[in-house]
Amino acid sequence: MTETANIRAEIGEDQRGVPSGEPAVGVAESEAPTTAGEIKIRCKGVDVFYGEAQAIKDVTIDIEDKAVTAFIGPSGCGKSTFLRCLNRMNDTIDICRVTGEITLDGGDIYDDDVDPVQLRARVGMVFQKPNPFPKSIYENVAYGPKIHGLASTKAELDCIVEQSLKRAALWGEVKDRLDAPGTGLSGGQQQRLCIARAIATAPEVLLMDEPCSALDPIATAQVEELIDELRRSYSLVIVTHSMQQAARVSQKTAFFHLGLMLEYDDTVKIFTAPSHEKTQQYITGRFG
Amino acid sequence: MSTTVDFTELSAKHTGEASKRRLRARYWAEMRLKAYGIIAIAIAAAALLLLLSTVVTKTAGVIYEKYITLEATIEVSDRDRERLADQNPRMRANLRRVVQGAIATAIPGEIGRRESRQATSIVSGDAGLFLGDRVKADLNLIGQTVPFDALLDDNMQLYLKGVVGRPEEIESAGTLSISVPDEDGFVTASFDPSDLGPIFEAIREQRANDAERARAEQRRQQNAVDVTERQLLEAETDEERAELQSRLDSFVFARDRAETNADELMRLATVIGEGARYTLAETDPSLLMRAGPGWLKFTEVERGEAKGLIYLPLSDTAPVGTEFAEGEWQAFMMERPEATRLQTDRQVVWMENFEDRGLIKEVLNTRILSSSDSASAELAGIWGAVVGSFWTMIVTFLLAFPLGVMASIYLEEFAPKNRVTDLIEVNINNLAAVPSIVFGLLGLAIFVSGVPVNILGYEFTIGGFLPRSSPLAGGAVLALMTLPTIIIAGRASIRAVPSSIRDAALGLGASKLQTATHHVLPLAMPGILTGSIIGMAQALGETAPLLLVGMNSFIQEPPSDPLSPGNVLPTLIYQWNSNSERLFDDKTAAAISILLIFLVLMNALAVLLRKRFERRW
Amino acid sequence: MLPYVLLVVALMSCAAFAMCRQRAVAAADGALSTLHSRPFYHGLYGFLWVAIAGFGAFILVNIIGTSIMNSVIAGQIAELAPELRPIEQSLVFSDAVKIASGGLASTTDELREAIAESYASTNTTRVIVVALAGLAAASSTFYLIFNQVGREFRARNRAERILRTVLWTAAGIAILTTIGIVLSLIGETIIFFQRIGWNVDAFLFGTTWAPLSGVQAGSLDPAKVGAIPLFVGTLMITIIAMCVAVPVGLFAAIYLSDFASKRTRAWAKPLLEVLAGIPTVVYGYFAVITVAPALRDFGASIGLTIASESALAAGVVMGIMIIPFISSLSDDVINAVPQSLRDGSYGLGATKAETIRKVILPAALPGIVSAVLLGTSRAIGETMIVVMAAGQGANMTLNPLDAVTTVTVQIVMLITGDTEADTAAAPAFTLGFTLFCVTLVLNVVALRVVRRYREMYD
Repeated sequence: MTETANIRAEIGEDQRGVPSGEPAVGVAESEAPTTAGEIKIRCKGVDVFYGEAQAIKDVTIDIEDKAVTAFIGPSGCGKSTFLRCLNRMNDTIDICRVTGEITLDGGDIYDDDVDPVQLRARVGMVFQKPNPFPKSIYENVAYGPKIHGLASTKAELDCIVEQSLKRAALWGEVKDRLDAPGTGLSGGQQQRLCIARAIATAPEVLLMDEPCSALDPIATAQVEELIDELRRSYSLVIVTHSMQQAARVSQKTAFFHLGLMLEYDDTVKIFTAPSHEKTQQYITGRFG
Repeated sequence: MSTTVDFTELSAKHTGEASKRRLRARYWAEMRLKAYGIIAIAIAAAALLLLLSTVVTKTAGVIYEKYITLEATIEVSDRDRERLADQNPRMRANLRRVVQGAIATAIPGEIGRRESRQATSIVSGDAGLFLGDRVKADLNLIGQTVPFDALLDDNMQLYLKGVVGRPEEIESAGTLSISVPDEDGFVTASFDPSDLGPIFEAIREQRANDAERARAEQRRQQNAVDVTERQLLEAETDEERAELQSRLDSFVFARDRAETNADELMRLATVIGEGARYTLAETDPSLLMRAGPGWLKFTEVERGEAKGLIYLPLSDTAPVGTEFAEGEWQAFMMERPEATRLQTDRQVVWMENFEDRGLIKEVLNTRILSSSDSASAELAGIWGAVVGSFWTMIVTFLLAFPLGVMASIYLEEFAPKNRVTDLIEVNINNLAAVPSIVFGLLGLAIFVSGVPVNILGYEFTIGGFLPRSSPLAGGAVLALMTLPTIIIAGRASIRAVPSSIRDAALGLGASKLQTATHHVLPLAMPGILTGSIIGMAQALGETAPLLLVGMNSFIQEPPSDPLSPGNVLPTLIYQWNSNSERLFDDKTAAAISILLIFLVLMNALAVLLRKRFERRW
Repeated sequence: MLPYVLLVVALMSCAAFAMCRQRAVAAADGALSTLHSRPFYHGLYGFLWVAIAGFGAFILVNIIGTSIMNSVIAGQIAELAPELRPIEQSLVFSDAVKIASGGLASTTDELREAIAESYASTNTTRVIVVALAGLAAASSTFYLIFNQVGREFRARNRAERILRTVLWTAAGIAILTTIGIVLSLIGETIIFFQRIGWNVDAFLFGTTWAPLSGVQAGSLDPAKVGAIPLFVGTLMITIIAMCVAVPVGLFAAIYLSDFASKRTRAWAKPLLEVLAGIPTVVYGYFAVITVAPALRDFGASIGLTIASESALAAGVVMGIMIIPFISSLSDDVINAVPQSLRDGSYGLGATKAETIRKVILPAALPGIVSAVLLGTSRAIGETMIVVMAAGQGANMTLNPLDAVTTVTVQIVMLITGDTEADTAAAPAFTLGFTLFCVTLVLNVVALRVVRRYREMYD
């Protein structure tokens, strides 16, 4: 306990501009034993190419269920690219090519039988910049259930929307103006709306690509709280620039550098005793 | 919203059977959307292809022009001799008579007075002038017998191209015997009765079709009669009844007329079908026969016998009562009736004869490029319009380009952000979308006619300083139209010059104007030029506003300067297209081809400029 | 003679440049840095002023002189031959001008000879006055400017101010053009409505259009100036055109922006651009030579009578012409929808088609609407296709297989027809004014919508 507290203190000192009094969801406070989750996604020897250039080199990682996994690393290290492999978002980029093996619950997601559309329904995604559709709040959330035919009645759909908004901790703020355009919300609210939109599709895994980088500290705190909450039901993978955030919300952390995954371990371990020299340098702020 | 949903259950739905079915439907929808897109592009591509192929095939029809080689002794009147001797090249002699004589010589046999007009009109009306020009160049030719080529009339050229069809051979066998002509010149030809079946069949079919059409008309009228009769029964007021009755009467009349017509046509069809004696009308296909060197045209036919006129002598030696063995004669049918074409059967026979004798010559058509407009299709060319377009474009460029560049510099570099600038900007965007014909009206009112204004009782006219039909007036109108395009392009490329360059220049103490002219403008110039060329290309194809300022006049001389009357390629295309002579259709396509070539060249230049000077900041 | 005067003024301007420059160099006395402005600017200042004064005086005096001369001559004609109608008087005028300049007149008589003589003498006076005015203005300005050259003279600032004014004037041409359009259209429109006794309803809601039949000098029959048949014809052809252009253009844009491979785009986009670059007169030819006969034959084969100048043929070809317009504008707005929205939709497991239909199209809708509005405005104002392929008789019909006429066709027919310009101009310009107003409204609305749309995603 003292050890982890020390880590927190260290990290707190490392922070630039973030007040240490912010609601810290520290590593140590996570109650669930970090090793208890089953393996949700297994990746083996994944390479990603953009045309001729190789963006990801031979990444092997197992992602646990009901836990938050953070990908950290300097800009351009390939963490976002790798994240986009997990629900085949890279398929939408013409020149992108993925090799290696990624399995979800034991099934290869790059198998010819697997439909990327169906896969993305199971592996939802939240993006760096809040991107609500130019529709009403209700329509934004109902979009996924509608296209996937999750609700058979209007009442059921209403219910999904309500619950998703509640789980995204947005219900209280928007319940009276569900018909208002989603683009009219504040940045933090928009991002939570996007999370609600992803939840409504009933995924098993939620990928988050720097979900807080466009938000102010208060909104960031709200989203982080939400992530911790969601951990109970989903396997979450989060790409983040902020090491404090990784430390606060994740149980496992992977460190990426120049397309390679240099280290993957419990978050506590990564931040206290990184085994790789580069990791050490990165978390102590020597580069990145 | 009292019920709750279990999200784990919902998640399970993603992998269920129902989801798979749904997915198939969703992909099917995607395929459909994609197919619509492909169809849309295919439609656009097909339209473009069809358009271009129309133009190209029609143009192919005038790549060559046809001449007939004639021979004549050059005899000239005293007046013509004077003109020929005159040094002024504008004094031209029309050796019409020499050409007419040469044609008469070229046609075998005698030509009656009635036919001489037909003979004259196989060559272009200017053939005599062309011969005159040749003699003028070489006065020694006078009095000599020389061969010369005469340009064929447009209708004859069209005939030789097969536009109205050529005589088709009908199978025939056996011996043909031709009687001595009676006092009206008619002869009777006897042949195997099984021959000429196809012509009977063709005529019968045509008559039967006409009859069918008359029957349809009869049925329609009958229908109208029925309807009106019913309405008449239901009519309430006398007025209505009277009105309906009069309508009924006219329907009944029309029905009866159609019925009589149909009956008569059916009767004719039957008569022909049975091979009974039938008089060929001008609206029937023509029946022609070649026997030895000569040609006949039949006016009355029945099985095994036909009566007709000798168009070309059958033999040099035995003028009458000849017999032709199998293979020495052929029967021909000209499917298109004489009444529906501009070439008489006599001319058809002559042209066939000329071609057999190798007198027809095909020459690459440079006339269409080198000569100006003419009322005769075979003489008309685009040179005058090309010159007109050239002057118009020069005027447009000289007016629009400097003004456009200056305006874009002002708006980008100097204009304060205020309401006036805003107004100018909105104005320019709107002007770019104002219909071109409105610019034409503006040009007509301001530049050509002048707007009468009455101020303080003194009447005067604003504008009206440019001559109607002149490239100057047309160019001024086009300049106003092109200006927004150039300004919009100019502003975009000036804006693309990074502000660091301005800052650098201003930092060195250059004035704003110096910065703009010395540093920004040279860098923006390729972009402005590209935009201007595209704008000029649009102007080159513009028609409507030029029609209104009178650039659709009939111009036989290319304008010597921007102030003399002229027309431009697009208006020439419009004028030719509205001309009813068939050869003008093809010539229009040729003019379009030239216009499109100019446009392609200009756009290629724009693309080249863009590629060559493309710069990314 | 006058062109030579222009030449002399141009030469004087150049001389002013050289001499002012020279004088500035002399004033500097070897130390150029002591000058406020570099010699070049002194030269430029002289050049600009001399050119502006010379050409300005020339043009101004010329325009005033010409209009005075014309009214003097017209007055003489009216005095000598009061019995002639105005149109005949103007004919006499133009003949007299031709006689005076040694050309061929339609007829020659005593009156014309007399007028020609008086024209010739007045014209000589005019030329002399104009030439003198131009030269005097240029040389006096030259003198003034030349004397100002000196060390302290702020030639650069002054020259730049002039140039700025010139630039401003160039930009102002845009506004002048609009004012010119409105001015030139509105005058005749007022005359037109005066002639029908301000019976505006008769024009807007009348159903018979034959403005030139049975006109008396200076009046029109209000019963025959009903523009409804033209409006109906225009509307019908526009609707047919948009029925072709909107689906084809929109689907092509969707396909090209979201489905097509790079290779397909590489040939399909230029293809559409080529379609956009073809002059309308060529489309008109295409309609007359290919489309109309094909439609007529097709109609005949299924038992329909299609007029050889049908609204359908003109509309379809106009639609083809507008396809690239709609597709390129839609392509722009579809591409302007941010990638993040597409990602968001794909990330939720939507197919491409769903993303396009439910996210991209709704987001791009304002832009697409404005593209359609601009396309409509273009269809309404399009002239050559309808002049060549649609009819000329103003018959009132809703049958697209019949010949109809449009506003633009009637403008062209009235102006290029045989009727004297005085009578035909009023209805033609009134139609032009109507056309201008309608398209202006469409354009303003469309441009505003698209501007707001751009702001939304910028």
